[in-house]
Amino acid sequence: MLGFLSNIIYATVRMAVPLLFISMAELYSERAGMVNIGLEGLAVIGSLCGFLMSFITGSVWIGILCGALVGILINLIYAYATISLCANQIVYGMAINILAPAVASFVYRIYFGDGSSLNQISLMKTISIPGLKNIPLIGPLLFDQTPMVYLAIILVIFTAIFFNRSKAGLNYKAVGEHPKAAATLGIPVIGTKYLACIICGALSGIGGAYLTTCYSTTYTEGIVSGRGFIALAAVIFGRWSSGGILIACLFFGLCDAAQIRLQVSSLSIPYQFFQMIPYLATIIVLALVGSKQAGPKANGNPYRKEER
Amino acid sequence: MEEILRMEHISKCFGSFYANKDINLSIAKGEVHTLLGENGAGKSTLMNILIGLYQPTEGKIFINGKEVKIDSPNQAVKLGIGMVHQHFMLVEAMTVFENIILGDRRSKGILIDKEARRKEIVELSERYGLDLELDKLITEISVGAQQRVEILKALYRGAEILILDEPSAALTDIEVEGLFAIMNKLISEGKSIIFISHKMREVLRISDRITILRAGEAVTTVQCSETDGQKLANLMIGRELTPSHYEKKSVDEAPIIELKHVDYNKSSKHNGLNDLSMCIRPGEIVGIAGVDGNGQTQLAQIVTGVIAPDKGEAVLHGKTVSVFDPNAFIENKFAHIPEDRNAQGLIGDMSIADNLVLKKSEQKPFSSGKGLKLNKKAIRSYADEMAAKYDIRCTSVAQEVRSLSGGNQQKVILSRELESEPDLLVAAHPTRGLDIGATWFVHEQMIAARDRGVGILLISADFDEVLEVSDRILVIFEGQIMGEYSGKNPPVEEISIAMTGK
Repeated sequence: MLGFLSNIIYATVRMAVPLLFISMAELYSERAGMVNIGLEGLAVIGSLCGFLMSFITGSVWIGILCGALVGILINLIYAYATISLCANQIVYGMAINILAPAVASFVYRIYFGDGSSLNQISLMKTISIPGLKNIPLIGPLLFDQTPMVYLAIILVIFTAIFFNRSKAGLNYKAVGEHPKAAATLGIPVIGTKYLACIICGALSGIGGAYLTTCYSTTYTEGIVSGRGFIALAAVIFGRWSSGGILIACLFFGLCDAAQIRLQVSSLSIPYQFFQMIPYLATIIVLALVGSKQAGPKANGNPYRKEER
Repeated sequence: MEEILRMEHISKCFGSFYANKDINLSIAKGEVHTLLGENGAGKSTLMNILIGLYQPTEGKIFINGKEVKIDSPNQAVKLGIGMVHQHFMLVEAMTVFENIILGDRRSKGILIDKEARRKEIVELSERYGLDLELDKLITEISVGAQQRVEILKALYRGAEILILDEPSAALTDIEVEGLFAIMNKLISEGKSIIFISHKMREVLRISDRITILRAGEAVTTVQCSETDGQKLANLMIGRELTPSHYEKKSVDEAPIIELKHVDYNKSSKHNGLNDLSMCIRPGEIVGIAGVDGNGQTQLAQIVTGVIAPDKGEAVLHGKTVSVFDPNAFIENKFAHIPEDRNAQGLIGDMSIADNLVLKKSEQKPFSSGKGLKLNKKAIRSYADEMAAKYDIRCTSVAQEVRSLSGGNQQKVILSRELESEPDLLVAAHPTRGLDIGATWFVHEQMIAARDRGVGILLISADFDEVLEVSDRILVIFEGQIMGEYSGKNPPVEEISIAMTGK
């Protein structure tokens, strides 16, 4: 029983990490008033790029770095259209969701051809943290993971400090709440929004790249499987706070881990039913939490400089 | 008196229109200097120049005798100019404390130094008597407290000159007293205040000097102690009174619509009505005079059935209205020239012809089968006829209404509404933004309609217009009727004072 439990927890952490990166991407985006529903697309292109570059260079770290870069690049399309041209954010987010996976498949086929041979890379090694690792129960679960897990934890802590304690974070938040007021106080509204899109692109790309460098040894179409959308839900569930999002991601990670376990343990029920669990959980959570909107006030609205 | 700010020969053009023309303004250290003027007199433009939102077309600005160029709001802040906007610039989801330190550049550290900042703010707020709870969210504090946050925000950024744009507009009477106490404290500490207001009583109480703006020009600057409400009203309106061109009538027939003790959103001074009673009879024009935003919009909406009053009743042709529904009012032969022609009066992407038959599209000959099939030919020929009759200047009636000039758009609305042969016409700012020719045309049409027996409710912020065509004048202030005057030889001065609530 204890083995089963620790297995689940171990898997939960592993499943929560990509979600956490992608959700944090959305948090940084929405805090500057940029609703980006293109996370899924960004994560897909990140996962492809992460896999491809790891495959070519043999270094998963270069893979992850390239995943971040390509995420930024693609998201700049969204940024330019929505910030500089004041286009609708939802429409362009959707456009990214259509464009990016298509580009990813295209590039994959060009590089590997149509052949059915399985191309694999070796996954990122786990590193255990001495000392902390020896804490009973949670020690081996939390501190015997890949460095990406530690990075995710650092990101959560950093984000919490940034938005709650730092001046820059306060100014950043003002852009998403009341851009005009921010502008009258000399805060660069347009610059902050672009920065938000760069951070969002990078973190989504990393979240995607995690899937092909730390989780699965190969790239397959549909590897992101809706995590970009679950991340949107996680931001709402987490009430736009970094700690809240961590809890939300662990919850969705748990659902994911549980469904894999249940698939294996029960043979009489079709496995598709278990696969639904994370998505059903998303719907239920949104239905319960979504009614009390508490997001940034100017979220989704274009910012136009005042002119007569 | 030591001069802190001087604006010299400031002009600002938008196209060929002068919003400010050769304005001189001098502000002394430690004074409350009021800018007084009607809507569109150029007060906001002048202040937007001062805070760096607009660049003046001509003119110079001096601060402490040194010429300065204010090319951004940031620059204005550096020069010690702070503004409390009429619509507050506060982030509602943040606390008072966070709003004040937002965008702060004075400390170097990355993290917010809460203790030090707090101490500074508390010191500042105690010095000026700005009582605030720093840890409350903006949404949790009253409007008056929000205003204090704005003032404190400006002071925290080192403002020496504080611009207060209609600061008393949103406040209750008690809060206004508090505001005045703060203003007195500020000037006793050597700050200067530029106070913008319409309210004569307040202006006379708090000001040291008053500069009157009219049609973009500074008429004069007077010492508050040497003037009174009467003189100021004259200067503000300041025109030779030309007698109206139109013959004024008085009718005694049964009213078309009568409002009895109507309340709507009573607690709001600016978007509500308070125990308002009035009536409109056939064959008369009732003009509503008043500064914009004193309930005129709500009055027009109640009379056209768009909104229902909270209290009181409307009697339509002797019958009490039970359901307020625009369609029912239209069926009762009510016509409406709405205040925003683009948002409410016209469908910009549709043709002139289609806009002209909007209200009749279900009737013959414009369609058969109750609007099932439109008869394009009939619509077209009707539209051509209307274009000629109402002098709508266009290349074709198939042209999009959006592409017409404001005056011609208004003529489209006018012809649609008047051709529906109404009993009652509600005309809200019917000539706003129109040139003299188009204005004259609209007035002629209204008078002609009146003479046909149409009752007209004219709502206008243009006092001249109200005087010109009204048979009866009602003055509205903070949702209340301040007085009723005959349109024949109206007592202009008395009315203009009533408009300021005195």
